[in-house]
Amino acid sequence: MYIYLPIAEVSMHIGIIIGLGGGVGFLSGLFGVGGGFLMTPLLIFFGIPPAVAVSTEANQIVASSVSGVLAHMRRGNVDFKMGGILMVGGVIGSSLGVALFSFLRSIGQIDLVIQLSYVVFLGIIGSLMLTESVRTMIRTSRPGAARGKLHQHNWLHGLPLKMRFRRSTLYISAIMPLLLGAFVGVLAAIMGVGGGFIMVPAMIYLLGMPTSVVVGTSLFQIIFVTANVTLLQSIQTQTVDFLLAGLLLFGAVIGAQFGSRAGALLRGEQLRGLLALVVLAVCLKIGYDLVVRPEDLLSVELLR
Amino acid sequence: MTRQLRPLPTLFAGCWLALVLAMAATNVQAAPSRLVADLSQTRVDITSGYHGTELLLFGAYEGVPGDELVLIVEGPATDIVQRRKEKKAGIWVNVETFIWQQAPSFYHMFSTAAFDRIADADVRRSAEIGPASGGLMLVAGANVNRGYEGGGDERTRAAEPTRGTSEQEAGLRRNMTANGLWQSKPSSIITQQNMLFRTMLSLPSNVPTGDYVVRILHFRNGVALSERTTDMNIRKAGMSALIYRFAHDYPVFYGLFAIAFAVASGWLAAVAFRRG
Repeated sequence: MYIYLPIAEVSMHIGIIIGLGGGVGFLSGLFGVGGGFLMTPLLIFFGIPPAVAVSTEANQIVASSVSGVLAHMRRGNVDFKMGGILMVGGVIGSSLGVALFSFLRSIGQIDLVIQLSYVVFLGIIGSLMLTESVRTMIRTSRPGAARGKLHQHNWLHGLPLKMRFRRSTLYISAIMPLLLGAFVGVLAAIMGVGGGFIMVPAMIYLLGMPTSVVVGTSLFQIIFVTANVTLLQSIQTQTVDFLLAGLLLFGAVIGAQFGSRAGALLRGEQLRGLLALVVLAVCLKIGYDLVVRPEDLLSVELLR
Repeated sequence: MTRQLRPLPTLFAGCWLALVLAMAATNVQAAPSRLVADLSQTRVDITSGYHGTELLLFGAYEGVPGDELVLIVEGPATDIVQRRKEKKAGIWVNVETFIWQQAPSFYHMFSTAAFDRIADADVRRSAEIGPASGGLMLVAGANVNRGYEGGGDERTRAAEPTRGTSEQEAGLRRNMTANGLWQSKPSSIITQQNMLFRTMLSLPSNVPTGDYVVRILHFRNGVALSERTTDMNIRKAGMSALIYRFAHDYPVFYGLFAIAFAVASGWLAAVAFRRG
């Protein structure tokens, strides 16, 4: 059964939409990630206009983040103070990102910037994760290996506006999380992702937060960043397809349940290694599309 | 005559019979209407279940052996942005943008024979056969603000409109054919006894909405004898129209509603699966 998506203005098989939601939901449940970095390229691949894919995915991530953050809140794994500062940065950053998105689209370069962002950031994060997980796998197979320091003090700790984050047991400058939030916010708005895949490692390695609170705190701030993108894109470009988001969500909710059950069967570093391979595969596919000669060098877009 | 028709769905046969009778009636009145055309549907609703559709275009004409027909279905005119890619630093990048002004958003043409056999290029141009027959204008090096939902307002023009070269028009035709919006289907009209004709119009799932014009032309010895037009309207309807209008007329509320819906369903999912 095909369904006509009123904002995307294309019709898609309802099984494909729910299947996409389910598949990406499964992976996001398995790895504990939002899955926007998979869903947005897949939607574009299936013929949804990039602008609609990015805005609609932001809307869907609002739901999956709310769903995820509730579980972390019950376990007390959300640092609201840190989340609040990241959120302020994120709202500013994503507003800039939406403006930048409109500008890039007007000069016909939005597809290129989306693709390049994916290649660069997925490439970096994927390679880091893969090396880290392989190292851990080797280390755990050799008993008695020395553990490294939890986090080190560096120049970042010399910045002004120091604040105490009790839940994260940190005393650091608020400038750092503010800038981090803003940076990830810009990327979230342009790439149609929540940005957790950048936020989580940055929180651990850059801010030095304990791993127990990073996922919950990241999800908490992603809700506000993606809600901001949803609202701004609705107002400025009318590219949020509510019907598409709802159907994707339906699949994703179910897929995530199976994913999290499957995830319990694997060890942390195995999961991270697998996720790294998925991330790198997406990166390579998009990179390949940029390099290979397009079928037709000309392309059209109808204005109304 | 109608008894000699090959087996056809009763609907088609019924339509044809009605037309033949109508023509016979008009002939009696000595005001010869030599061309009648109609569609199986003059209004197409794009509802949530829409995935392209097929329409029957049919009619009657007073022909002699050797007569040819051309049928054109044309959608509303719109500005079309075209971009050209070039390889820069190893990757393919859009390097040039131009806007075709008021080009047909949809143009399907049908005929009883190859178009160049029906009439020569000059006749075809004066009869406005072909999407670029009127001479399309384009603005080169243009900057398009809000490319997707442009609305025709915020465009800064880098140059005055110029006439597209045949090479540029071929590029536009290639792109528009690839996305299914422009089609040329020679020898796709089926005729009976030089009296009846029919063909199928396939509307793709990405069909533009708006007012359409269906034109039928009757050619004899390379000259257009007569022409008839009829209207068709394609519009969003039902839930898809509702969502579209909500998004465009009340964007702030639409955005807030989309967020509220997402928050509520995320919360519901968390609650449902915690108990389960």
